[in-house]
Amino acid sequence: MASKSSLLKVILLGDGGVGKSSLMNRYVTNKFDTHLFHTIGVEFLNKDLEVDGHMVTMQIWDTAGQERFRSLRTPFYRGSDCCLLTFSVDDSQSFLNLANWKKEFIYYADVKEPESFPFVVLGNKLDVTERQVSLEEARQWCRDNGGHPYFETSAKDATNVAAAFEEAVRRVLAAEDRAEHLIPTDTVNLHRKPRSSASCC
Amino acid sequence: MAAPATTKLVFEQEGIFIHSSSARGEDQEVLISGFLRLIQKDGDFCVEYRPLEDAVDPSNMLCAGKDSSSVVEWTQTPQCAGERPHRPVEPQQSYETEWDMINTVSFKRKPYANGEGVSHQVHERSRWAFFFNVSDLKSIRVKTEGWAYLVFCLREDTRLPALHFHQGGSEDFLDCLRRYVVLSECPGDKTCLMVCSHSKALSQSFENLMEDDTTYGVVQKLRKDPYTATFGGFAKVTNYLFDAFRWPELEQEPQATPEAEVSPDTLSEVIPGLEINQQQEPGFEVITRVDLGRRPDVERRDPVSAEDWARRVDSEGRVRDVSHLKRLVFKGGLCHALRKEAWKFLLGYFPWESTREERKNLQKRKTDEYFRMKLQWKSVSEEQEKRNSRLRDNRSLIEKDVNRTDRTNKFYEGPDNPGLILLHDILMTYCMYDFDLGYVQGMNDLLSPILYVMENEVDAFWCFVAYMEQMHQNFEEQMQGMKTQLIQLSTLLRLLDLAFWNYLEAQDSGYLYFCFRWLLIRFKRELTFQDVLRLWEVMWTGLPCQNFHLLVCCAILDSEKQKIMEEHYGFNEILKHINELSMKLDIEEILQKAEAICIQIKSCKDIPHSVSEILGFNEEAELPATEAEAGDSERPDPPAPSHAPPSHIPPSHAPPSHVRQERVTDLISNGNGHLHEAAHDVYKIAYIS
Repeated sequence: MASKSSLLKVILLGDGGVGKSSLMNRYVTNKFDTHLFHTIGVEFLNKDLEVDGHMVTMQIWDTAGQERFRSLRTPFYRGSDCCLLTFSVDDSQSFLNLANWKKEFIYYADVKEPESFPFVVLGNKLDVTERQVSLEEARQWCRDNGGHPYFETSAKDATNVAAAFEEAVRRVLAAEDRAEHLIPTDTVNLHRKPRSSASCC
Repeated sequence: MAAPATTKLVFEQEGIFIHSSSARGEDQEVLISGFLRLIQKDGDFCVEYRPLEDAVDPSNMLCAGKDSSSVVEWTQTPQCAGERPHRPVEPQQSYETEWDMINTVSFKRKPYANGEGVSHQVHERSRWAFFFNVSDLKSIRVKTEGWAYLVFCLREDTRLPALHFHQGGSEDFLDCLRRYVVLSECPGDKTCLMVCSHSKALSQSFENLMEDDTTYGVVQKLRKDPYTATFGGFAKVTNYLFDAFRWPELEQEPQATPEAEVSPDTLSEVIPGLEINQQQEPGFEVITRVDLGRRPDVERRDPVSAEDWARRVDSEGRVRDVSHLKRLVFKGGLCHALRKEAWKFLLGYFPWESTREERKNLQKRKTDEYFRMKLQWKSVSEEQEKRNSRLRDNRSLIEKDVNRTDRTNKFYEGPDNPGLILLHDILMTYCMYDFDLGYVQGMNDLLSPILYVMENEVDAFWCFVAYMEQMHQNFEEQMQGMKTQLIQLSTLLRLLDLAFWNYLEAQDSGYLYFCFRWLLIRFKRELTFQDVLRLWEVMWTGLPCQNFHLLVCCAILDSEKQKIMEEHYGFNEILKHINELSMKLDIEEILQKAEAICIQIKSCKDIPHSVSEILGFNEEAELPATEAEAGDSERPDPPAPSHAPPSHIPPSHAPPSHVRQERVTDLISNGNGHLHEAAHDVYKIAYIS
């Protein structure tokens, strides 16, 4: 078994069409394609980055957002280090569904301590002029639901995308630091994917 | 079965190796291949390793009693790996023979726990056999050198020779063991798993993707034991899988049944007719490989031309010689000009035997019907829609998806492209046509090529409806079609390429998740737009067998297998590799190979029933279902998608949370219950009735 390397599994969840794939592609390849197909099944991309002196490989998992595909995507939740709850600021329904996404994630990822699990909330499509969700509403939701960090992003013009993903890494590293101080080390952490499997791409 | 209930096999894997020189310090390394088993005996759990060629000779079996410390050969040199007792070992087989076995995975197995009728000549390699009680196990060292190997350390620091899992499976073994003992990583040494207690361990591997679904656990166990569920018997198991296979539901409460309390017998309770052979009968042999024979060379032909087609249309417009025509379409596809007309027949919108006049009337009727349904959603006011969340959600998602459907295709590119409005309107009207299903992502992918070919809203709609008849199950709430197809594909792949199938299983990929997109939208995203048109028209002929698209999957996987295995791709890499094949595939090459595979399977006499069932070889293999299409049916009936055969088990009857990995021996009724022995020596099944 490998020594501790630094693969972080991050999963993007949110309604269909809020821009999950676009956020991933913007962050990893710095490209934006308006006409990108909707995701079928699951996909992932890796991105190496340095955050506060830590070198990490972020493995970003992108899923199909439609309710119908729940049974396909949920098995991939396990082993996630962070969950990016995504909505689109021009779609109030996608904002209202955040709670369901969070619930679904906690259930299927088998998160033992939901209160301390790192979630980051992204309000995407900041470039669109007709907002349906205000900054204040979104912030309020994040405060009321566990104090999650909130980022307003635009995959289209690259606003705040890197900042949001980097924050995800910081949250994970912070959570791990806490865990190392609290949990005796003689137990096997069964949720953690072996980090040696990070080798591809 | 009259087997004594006191001994049960809970895990077994073949092809596990001991490297003799590394264990004994000899110059010449000999690979000892053998079985690893976990056996429940009188309430205790024992681990047994026995070399493949080993004859059962109790004097040679190294036993550890339940309450004694283990007695094994290797006690002489505890812990020090370099100083093994020297014992002359004559190589029994060349490397080639050994490795050949790995490549083809065609072991013949000696009956378990059966000492009769086997050679009395004890091979030297039987010295490598060992057997110990799990309660004597102190720790397990888990290491990798391209593959994983395990070293068991017993109490009193007896260390057994390393077991090398060349074909994977070490995790499965450990997972299985975890159900009976608690394994915890040694502080400061991650390669060492300490055995903490004998209590029934509740810890489960969280790595195993699908195991969170309790029922799938059973499925996985069955499928992970390829040597014990016989090929023929797999039919019944497969039938069971079809319905018993449930996906996790958010509302579903986690199964409370502690796995330790689940009797292995429960598997037989949930699978009536499935007999579990807890102790294998004397003389029983399990099929491990069916020799399919050579894969024939197949040639593709040129597309059917407009003249070819016209020659087969009579003066009133009836298409004659349909089966031959379909054969031509299968072999070469259609030239593009012909598609607009021919697809309507292939999809079943137009009956083959209809006259031009009849078709004109049909189209007229269908046009009225289409616009009546279109008017239904068009006339919903904004106020109404506010109170209709289903319609609102459908509309919202359709709008989003239409804007990202084939936008690089000329037909759909640019802002405000009229093609997009048609896509939108047809999908909305389909919601009215099938309100229960509504819009599901992926339907846009299926519609886009049809609309492109038809260039007509009404025709495109009805052809889409016909296509959806075939694909409906893929999009249903429970996605039954997807589950069924994934299981069927797995069954086929196992027959075609057991070694690869085993590899995928070892990578937790045996469920073939990575084929999901292929199956959901019939390779729409994998091929260039023009190639999609070709593949679809070929598939719509219903030739050369039922579920041909699954053989298309097999053909693609066959081409990728070498890379996947050589590069030792794991779960993630396989998924990524398959996803990235998109737009890199050669359709003619794939079709050629898929057809060759079909002929290869068809010409094999010994194909398992489950496989013939999937490919429809059991039915009259004359004409596909569209052939005898009814004249003017309201809803066209294109070739029926294969449905899961009826199962014995009601879907609600979910099996208990975790049934131990069992020796499942399914018996096939061939009518007389006699021994069926196939031509190939690797294929033998005993019938016990």
